[in-house]
Amino acid sequence: MQAYQADLAKLQASDTVVFGVSIDSPAANAAFAKQIGVTFPLLSDMNREVLVQYGILDSFDKYASQGVKAEWARRTTFVVDKQGLIQHIDEGRDAVNPNTAVTVCTTLDSKAKS
Amino acid sequence: MRRGLIFLAAWALAAGLAAAQKPVIAKTSLKVGQPAPDFTMLSDQWEPVKLSDYRGKKNVILAFYVLAFTPG
Repeated sequence: MQAYQADLAKLQASDTVVFGVSIDSPAANAAFAKQIGVTFPLLSDMNREVLVQYGILDSFDKYASQGVKAEWARRTTFVVDKQGLIQHIDEGRDAVNPNTAVTVCTTLDSKAKS
Repeated sequence: MRRGLIFLAAWALAAGLAAAQKPVIAKTSLKVGQPAPDFTMLSDQWEPVKLSDYRGKKNVILAFYVLAFTPG
């Protein structure tokens, strides 16, 4: 998340907003944002509906037979353009590095302004 | 024979249970060019954020992270 924060000014200049998303509560996300110095909103998908819709709900289910499991989001970044269409997807380790997403957004912006 | 049947029944039951408990992990089916599913979620400031509010206004980066307080 800090890497996206580092590029935030560049993204804002490209008419782009950034949202982090996880299954954590707003309270936990507020504490997390403060701890890591992130100023963009962190959104809560506490009922996992968005993760299911986006196809990135992952879980630890080794003890599911005992009725316990943990769920979380698979690390993924989506770039959505002004038409609401997905322009780019980074998955796994690729999603940690925002470089490609930033390039996609600056390119979208320069196309829109040309 | 009878023991075999019992074994078979136990195996079928176990297999059925295992299938029922298989986690539902949706595969990433979204592709570039498709509409991003709309959502409304609460921000860390307890404000609703609706994706479609940004349509026609801003590009949006959705950075899904594993869990708060984890690195990456």
